[in-house]
This record gives sequence, C-alpha cells and structure tokens, in this order.
Amino acid sequence: MRRRDLIQGTAIAAALAAGGLGARGAAAQQAGDPIRKLVILSRPQSNNPQAYQAAEIIAQEWRKLGLDVEIRPLPRQQQSEVVWNRRQEWDMTMWQMVGRPERSDPDELVFNLFHSSTAPTGFNFVGWADPEYDRLAEAQRVETNPDRRREIIRAAQERVNQGQPYLFLVHPKQVHAFNKAQLREGTLVNQAGLGLRNIWTYLGVEPVGNRRDMVLNASEPVQAIHPLWISGATDSWVTELVWDRIMRIGPDGLPRPWAAETVTQVDPTTIDITIRQGMKFHDGSPVTVDDCIFSFEAPAIGNEVPMYRPFVLNIAKVEKTGDRSFRITLKQADAGFFTSSLAKLNIIQKSAWEPVLRDYQNRPENIERFVVERPIGSGPFKVSRARLSEEIVLERNADHWAAPKIERWILRIVQNVEATLGMLNRGEINFLADYTGDPDLVKQLVSRNRNIVMNEAVDVGFQFLGWNMRRPPFNDPAFRRALSAAVNRELMAEAAWNGFAEPANSHVSPALPFWHREGIVGMLPSGLDQAQRILQEAGYRVVNGRLHYPAGTREQTTPN
Amino acid sequence: MGYVGQRLIQAVFVLWVVATLCFLMFRLMPGDPTLNYIDTSMTEEQRQNMLVAFGLDQPLYVQYLIYLKNLLRGELGNSFLQGRPVLELVLEALPLTVALTLSALIVAYIFGVIAGAFLAWKRGSLTEGVAIPLVLATRAAPEFWLGMILLAIFAFGYGWFPSGGAASAGAEYGSEWERLFSLDFLYHLLLPALALAVYLQGLPLLLMRSTMLEVMQDEFVTMARMKGLSEWTIVIRHAARNALLPVATAFALGIGGSVGGNVVVETVFSWPGLGRMLVTAVQGSDYPLAQGAFLIIAAVLVLMNLVADLLYGWLDPRVSHGRKG
Repeated sequence: MRRRDLIQGTAIAAALAAGGLGARGAAAQQAGDPIRKLVILSRPQSNNPQAYQAAEIIAQEWRKLGLDVEIRPLPRQQQSEVVWNRRQEWDMTMWQMVGRPERSDPDELVFNLFHSSTAPTGFNFVGWADPEYDRLAEAQRVETNPDRRREIIRAAQERVNQGQPYLFLVHPKQVHAFNKAQLREGTLVNQAGLGLRNIWTYLGVEPVGNRRDMVLNASEPVQAIHPLWISGATDSWVTELVWDRIMRIGPDGLPRPWAAETVTQVDPTTIDITIRQGMKFHDGSPVTVDDCIFSFEAPAIGNEVPMYRPFVLNIAKVEKTGDRSFRITLKQADAGFFTSSLAKLNIIQKSAWEPVLRDYQNRPENIERFVVERPIGSGPFKVSRARLSEEIVLERNADHWAAPKIERWILRIVQNVEATLGMLNRGEINFLADYTGDPDLVKQLVSRNRNIVMNEAVDVGFQFLGWNMRRPPFNDPAFRRALSAAVNRELMAEAAWNGFAEPANSHVSPALPFWHREGIVGMLPSGLDQAQRILQEAGYRVVNGRLHYPAGTREQTTPN
Repeated sequence: MGYVGQRLIQAVFVLWVVATLCFLMFRLMPGDPTLNYIDTSMTEEQRQNMLVAFGLDQPLYVQYLIYLKNLLRGELGNSFLQGRPVLELVLEALPLTVALTLSALIVAYIFGVIAGAFLAWKRGSLTEGVAIPLVLATRAAPEFWLGMILLAIFAFGYGWFPSGGAASAGAEYGSEWERLFSLDFLYHLLLPALALAVYLQGLPLLLMRSTMLEVMQDEFVTMARMKGLSEWTIVIRHAARNALLPVATAFALGIGGSVGGNVVVETVFSWPGLGRMLVTAVQGSDYPLAQGAFLIIAAVLVLMNLVADLLYGWLDPRVSHGRKG
C-alpha cells in the first residue's frame, strides 16, 4: 500500500473518529483546553524525501485523532540548532541514528539516548527522565556477563516500549551494489547492521580481470584524515583502514582481537592485552607497546583530543607488562569497553604525536586543528593521495598481516546521487557504497545490467520522530503511546521507504539479534481505534473535531 | 586622481562591504559549526571547547576586528571543518572552476556571436522564428536540468562521456598543470563545459543579435551597401565588429559571474570546483571557508567589472566615463 491508499482512507477514518471520541456524551464538559497546534520539524522534501514523507503520513494519521499538526521543513543546520540549543522551544522533530561499527554494542545507544543525565545538554534532547530506565542503563554498563547483560538490555527496550520516548519508525535497509565483473562475488562480506560497506569487505574482496582496484563512492567530502579527530562519517571509513586498533568489530557485530594477539578480561576492571609480533607503521618503524599505551593515554591529556576523550575517561591506568603486553585497569567495570574503546581508538606513533600534543597544550586550539600532512598508521591500507573533496586513494599495505587483495581503494566524492548509478553502470565505480536515492532505481539497474549485484541489509540505525517531553502534552506517556499506536509502521516502511525498511519500536536493531528484544514491534498497540481508546482512557476528549486535554488541564505552552 | 585610481578605490570599498556582509551573514544564520559534530557522546564541555578553538566564544565585534586585521594581512584563516588554510583550499579548487568557466564561456561567446550575427542577418525568416524560442528555452532552462539531460543522453545512454569528476579514478599526475592539460581532464571537462555553454550562450547571442539589428540601420552600413559590398562582408567585416562592444563587456562580466555561479553544474557533474566547495562550506557553517570563497568570487567579479569598464573605454573612445574633454 502506498501513500495514495492512505489519502483515500482519510475520509473513512475521519468518520470513525467522529463516531468514536467525538460523539461520546458530554465530552465538551469533561474536556480541558484544546491542544495547541503541534509542529513537526523535518528536513525539506528535496533534502530527505523519506523523512519528509514519513512526517506527512504521521501528520495525516494524527489529524484523524483531532490534532492540528503542521510540518515545518528546515535545513539541517537550522533544525539541529533548534533541537540541540533551544530545548524548550520545539514540539517534535524527525531524526535518525545512523549505523556505525561501534554501535554494534548497544551501550552507546542504550545509555546516551535516554539516560536522564544526558537530557540537559547531551543526546537525550527529547528530555526523557525515567529512574527505572536510568537504573537499567547503568546496570548494563557494568554487567560483564553477556547473558545477564542481554537480559538487562532487553528489559531496557521493554521500558522504552512502555514510555515511548521516541516514536520509532523504521530500521532502514542499507542498499549497496557492486560490479561482479570487477569484484568477485562471494568475497564481499555482509557485516551485521552495516551491510557490505565495511573493512572486512575491503580486506577480503578479490578483484576480477585487469582492474585491481576497488572504486567506491561517497556523497559527502572527506574533511580530514586524522587519527585523533572524528571529523565526519565518511572520514571514519578512511581512518579505520589507515590506523589499526587493538580490536575490531567483526562481521558478526562482536568485538574481536585485531592488533592484539589476545585480549583477556582478568576481572571486571582489568584487561590484559598482548599485541601481535612484527607489526610496522607505514614508514617502516615497529609498532611497540609504548605506542599502544600512548594511544590510550593521549586522549586523556587535557582537552586536546575532545572527540576521543570520553572513551578513555574510565581508564584508571595503563601499564606495560612485557615487550608485547600491557594491562589496562578501569575505574569501574565497563561492558562496552571492548567495543567503545578498544575497537575505536587508533594506534598512533608515540614519537610523532607526543611532541605535537605537547605543542598544542600551549595553544588555544586543540589538536584537531593540527593538519596531518602525511598520515602514518599501521593499518592494512596506506594513504597514497588525498584530494579531500574529490578522491582519496589508498594503496594496499603489503607488509600487513591482513594485507588486502585489491591494489588500491579509491573513494570518489560524488554528490549527485543519480550520477552514482550511471557510474556503476558504466564501470567508473565498481562498488556503490553510499546511496541515498530510491532503491527501486538500483533494482532496475540490476535488471538491466547482469554484472551488477545488489545487497540489502537492515541497519543498526533507525529513523524516528522525537517528541519534546518538556512540553505538554508529550510529558504524558499515555498521549505518546496513543500517538505512537496511531502510526502504521508497516505502511510507513512501504510508503516512505519503498519497502527498504523494517518497522521499528526499539533503539536496538534486529540487525543485532543477540541484543534485540524480539517481538518488540508487536508489543505496541497498533491502529487508530487503539490510539483513540488510549486517549479516551487517559481523559482526552474530541470536541468539535478537535482533541482536548483531560478535564482541568490548561494549555500553557506557546506554539513554536 | 586618475580614472583608474578612482575605480580602484571604489573596488576596495566594494570588497570591504562584501567582506563585512559575508562576516555578518554567516554569523547571523541559525546554527554554528559545532552542530556538525552532534553525536551521542558529545558533551556540552566538548561543544564549548570547540567554540573556543574556532574563536567563536569572543564577542562579535572582536571576531570582526580580528577578521579585518587578518584580511589586511592577506590571511583568510583556517577552515573550521578541514583545519587547513582557506587560501590553500580555494587555490586548490580555483583552477578547476576557472577551466570549466573559461572553456564554457569561450564556446558560448564564439557560438553566441556568430549565431547572433547570423540571426540578425536572417531577421524575419523561418530560421529566426525557430531559433529564438529555442535560445530562450535553453536560457530559461535550469542548469541542473540541462546537466542531467546531457548526462542521461551522453554519459548514461551512449556512454561517450564520464558521469562525473575531473579525472578518471586513481589517475596520477606529476603536477596540477600536467593534470589540467591532460587528455583525461579534457575528456571529463567536455560535458560539464557543454552544459554550462548551452546555458550561457543565450546572453551573447541575443545581445549580439539586438546590437547587430541596430548597427545594420547605421549610415555606414548603407554606405557599404551602396559600394556594392556583399551582404556577408557587410555583416561580418563591418556590422559585427561594431556590434561586438557590449558583447565584450558581457564576456568580462560573465567571467566574474560564472566563477561563483557554477554551483549547480559543479554539483551535477561532481566537479570539485569552488562552487561545490562553497555549498559544502555554507551547509557546514564553515565560516572562514565560506567567507574566503565568497570574498575571492567577489574580488574576481569586481576585478572583471573594472576590466569591463576599462575595456569599454579602450574599445570605444567615445565613452568618456564622465571625464570632461
């Protein structure tokens, strides 16, 4: 069913609403003030068609409940400014969480999205404060037994289902495609929650024919190639190939030793690490334990490395225990440490970075302003050439213990989405890594060109509508639950995402089956009648087609 | 003070106004560069540190004074997002934009002048009846549409041209000059330059045609006819030369205008020029880069205006620029 069907259904549903809430006895006498016009902030249709169309579908459903809803398109910067900096001044916003390797561990999303401590200035911009959820979010963080932690995380998802701090919409599917005449089919790796665009693909893919390169696209220019600065999403694709890390997130979504031969959890706060023998930086110098220790200490020095600092704050000390081994002692147990720190921090050369750090401590700006002229890591690829807004060329590091099979990894910056399909069709790129257009067009291309293979995978991220719980009526869980129930997520996935998405009702994606609470979508009542029932039970009334607060409640919030 | 001196002072004043407007415009826009880094782990402390690092914690007037002081020293600052000097980034993108603009302008003006003269000569004919609406349509058509049509036909359809970029994937060159004069670069340049030329040719064509129609009424043309010269000789050797003056002025202004006006074509063809860089900078609230790019575009525009004025006086000595003879 598509949008047209929805529009046709409006009249029927409106009649239902009138006969349901509207006709109930002396509604007017039992009702409070009419609910003000509610505004949904969204990116413009031209900029993010899926989110805008989802907002339209949502507004349409809610109008059937008697709400006055306006969709207000804003450019990204302006939307972010309102949502992030003016936390009292908006009602609802369309937003998204994107998939990243480190989000394979649920801690980042479970804690930072909804813990009340992040509400004033952090990522809990919707302002949800639930002591029981806080308790669960804190408990999962220190529980190192995976099975017990899984139970806590599942309980946290159920708590979110009860409270509906977000109106979860869908987990989109990542759409990637490649040319099997140039890249051997079966050698690209599907990583849980990320699809084919991941390091395991770049390491394992085998070239076919004369062309020995993988040429892929990105829609955003790279800002910097910097081991101590998370400068952008596309930038991370490059840095993770140039610099090694102690661990990496495997195709199964779980952390596994990488630059480390072994990682041993001695007790909840002690981790012993032995690094591989014979590792070398791209300039030929050896990777030592001192380099590894420095890589964990550097982000904690002053405020020089603000982006990585949060990931080392829990480290009490790092000690050398042998020529190839060191011990990390944590201040408190941290279940996500392997993923959020060991698989995230880049191993850097102490001899190169120590003087730079010292120099920047005497400057007003931090080390992120340092321009890395010659990026030197120890990773499986070396930087050959970087024109940040045009093309990044990495070449294989033949000395690496996991040397790639392709000669070069070439990232082309292509902002015209339609042109990327043309490029794939003509063989100008052989891996469609970043595609935000209509997936049906990729399907059509596959049907025309037998060399093109398409792959879809459910994302770790999700699309949602955030409502501001600082502002009534969103501070009422029953109201949130009713509005959430009114949205048909199956229809949403079909209509707005053309079927390339799965319905969502949790911040832990089904792409992570170990952590995901199975059946969570079904735990939410669904349908307009259910939404009306919840509102009725909570005291909301429809008077003259307009939804009113429960009796005695005044509308005191200024429309934004 | 001579005429040139006066025009130079005016140019400097205009650039100061542009620089001030650029400064205010970006700072008065909602948002700041820290919003590019919104992340689940971002804290208020991190955000404040970032503002300090960018110098945005200072009062507006202090920021403005620092900005003007740096400008006087020829410093455009460092990009917030890339950390590199703005001048370096702009100079990296500028040759590609200049190559695209100049090639498109030259093609557009050569075609426009010849076709404009031809259509003036053919006034009232069926050819003119068909050609003028066609020219107006290409002039009115959005650039992105023209670009996409050309891409769809010549790149995706026939496969004659690449779908974007300024060079083939992984192509290596010894220097920027080597790249700019390589066959691969020219091959990538053809389609975007054609799209831009199709869009740009309308102005010189219509200008040439209308000026030609005026010139053709002049006495010297009647005299040439009376002398028995062929119609073609009259049009090309006499009328067209006299009609070129406004077209030459438009060409100079066109260079200035097009340097900053290629945003759409550069985006459609993934051409890594100044226009695309400017869009990225504005979207990311990269104030120094956006200011620097705007300022350089404005400087080129002001310079080209100056050149056009001087050129006009040189080509047509009757133009006195208000000087008393």
